Amino acid sequence: MSAFLTLTAANIRSFVRDRTALFWTFAFPVIFILLFGAIFSGGGTPSYSIGWVDQDGTAASALLRDGFARVPLLKLQDGSLSASLDAMRKGSLNGVVVVPKGYGAAVAAARGSSAAGAGAGAAATTGPITAGPGTVPLDVYTDPSQQTSSATIRQVVAQVVSTTNLALLGGRPILATVDRSLQTQDLSNAAFLVPGILGMALMQLGVFGAVPLVAQREKLILKRLGATPLPRWTLVGSNVVLRLLIGIGQAVLILGIGVAVFGVTVLGALWLMVAIVVLGALTFISIGYVVASFARTEDAANGIVQVIQFPMMFLSGVFFPIEIMPSVLRPVAAVLPLTYLGDALRQVMVGGSPYAPLPLDLGILSAWFVVCLAISARFFRWE
Amino acid sequence: MTGTDDAPVIEVVGLRKRYGEVLAVDGISFEVRRGEIFGLLGPNGAGKTTTVEILEGLRRPDDGTVHVLGVNAAHAPEQVKQRIGVQLQTAALYPFLTVTEVLELFRSFYARSRPTEWLVQAVDLGERRHAQTRQLSGGQRQRLSVALALVNEPELVFLDEPTTGMDPQARRSLWDLVLRLRSEGTSVLLTTHYMEEAEQLCDRVAVMDHGHVLELGTVEELVTRRFRERAVHFDTLPGLDLAELGRLPQVKRAVIEDGETVLYTSDVAATIGALLARTETLGRDPENLGIRRATLEDVFLDLTGHALRE
Repeated sequence: MSAFLTLTAANIRSFVRDRTALFWTFAFPVIFILLFGAIFSGGGTPSYSIGWVDQDGTAASALLRDGFARVPLLKLQDGSLSASLDAMRKGSLNGVVVVPKGYGAAVAAARGSSAAGAGAGAAATTGPITAGPGTVPLDVYTDPSQQTSSATIRQVVAQVVSTTNLALLGGRPILATVDRSLQTQDLSNAAFLVPGILGMALMQLGVFGAVPLVAQREKLILKRLGATPLPRWTLVGSNVVLRLLIGIGQAVLILGIGVAVFGVTVLGALWLMVAIVVLGALTFISIGYVVASFARTEDAANGIVQVIQFPMMFLSGVFFPIEIMPSVLRPVAAVLPLTYLGDALRQVMVGGSPYAPLPLDLGILSAWFVVCLAISARFFRWE
Repeated sequence: MTGTDDAPVIEVVGLRKRYGEVLAVDGISFEVRRGEIFGLLGPNGAGKTTTVEILEGLRRPDDGTVHVLGVNAAHAPEQVKQRIGVQLQTAALYPFLTVTEVLELFRSFYARSRPTEWLVQAVDLGERRHAQTRQLSGGQRQRLSVALALVNEPELVFLDEPTTGMDPQARRSLWDLVLRLRSEGTSVLLTTHYMEEAEQLCDRVAVMDHGHVLELGTVEELVTRRFRERAVHFDTLPGLDLAELGRLPQVKRAVIEDGETVLYTSDVAATIGALLARTETLGRDPENLGIRRATLEDVFLDLTGHALRE
């Protein structure tokens, strides 16, 4: 055990002192995110498209619409509930507001009794308005993963509702907002990109691991270590632990930049994210070992690694969704492990509509891992 | 401890190893005694490396038995590895670690180990102890690889051309270290390309070629077995003709090379006595009189048909 710890410490020290390796593992993905994040994020003043679903169709509801239309931040688009929610899922709307049937009637009824019950709702104007007897629920759909837009829309809607309540009945609430979440496919570009880049970084970390391994074999370093009583599992285990630690470091760095620079909201459970990062790293490390099993020279390993990692980078939905890829390439994406790692990370970290269900993502990654492990256990040579 | 003090540290009987079509080692047998420095010589491809790797527990023999320190190296390589030291011709291990860090790392692999400072001093790397190994010169790297072979205070050390790439001074100091190890009871198996190294260090040598051991014994034995005669040489004296010299006692052959007369003889004392008696009658002493024997290099050439350094 002391040999394992000393060896792992030595590996970490070696890695930290190797500036070239440091650059490729940490600076490279960061540059990618900053570059592509800047290219893809359009900029401009924020404005939110809101689906306006008027199920009431009375003069009162039209008046409410005018109230919303006056807010410069919002652009209203009329439509039915299902069409609007659909549009929101696909990303063309940031939120949906639904005026239920019976709003006009409720307003009229309330007006009739307003003189009598003037004082009854006085206290309600100060506190948050919640649905209750005598109020009409106003459904407001937003996507919680789009933190900024979601919060802004809710705030604006609450403001308009409270103004309307005041204008209508002197403060007695008749409208209550009901917050509804809707998971949309429309990740901001950065939110889409961040898990993808993390997946790419883990892929490169693992696959490129073949190169130093082959170099160590070529330079007889593996043989020299083999002449010590050090068990081979210690050698492999320590190497894997080092790469897992680097992978977690990359995850923290890449997510940190996503959150700090691009305002990406991280949704998922931490343990699940760590588990996926570890599984992904293991899968690609095992692919690296497969490469090292068949490459005889460092140059050959480098070549094979490039052949593997370059197409994978562009065909696995790292930079853009697989749905917009040409149909001939989609079956290729469907077998690449990075597709599933990126998808799993995306689902868990930022939401969005999945390419495959999470268990399927994890299942396919595990299958790649097991197969590659078996191949390298059979074919890997120490000299 | 396994074995008694006078049991051999290495015992090879009928060792055979084949790679596909090639029979790398073809039924060799030899012993290395405790406390001796044993040289394994041979051209590239002779089977030295394969033999040594089997002894080190890195490869399994196809046939024959190999005991190292009394332990069967094929059955219990881990037990052997714990007690031997191995020096290999490798590039910088862990280029980004310092000399002491690499030594500390290797110390952690073994149940017992020498102090790092002892190791650093033993190979004269004191001034470079905090240098990363990629910054070391070839000779310094070589010295580090020797230090790594001594980390676990081994009873038996394998040195693979340990002085390659060293300047003469470093080579001399490594020889001193090897002799010091022997005096402390460590046995050494050495492969080398340098005849002088083998002659200076080795108690016994084995010459290998094509998977066979061709000759085994002390350097002296090997040389005299092949080359009975010694050469008595001196600056050529006018008045002594070659035919006359050729008739001196025990002289087999007399030649003049580069102003030097050389008499090949099977009895140096008799030849020199007769030579001096003859020169006295001339009233002159032969200048630069010396005795030379054939060298290991000559033995090697004679045995394998090519020079060792090829």
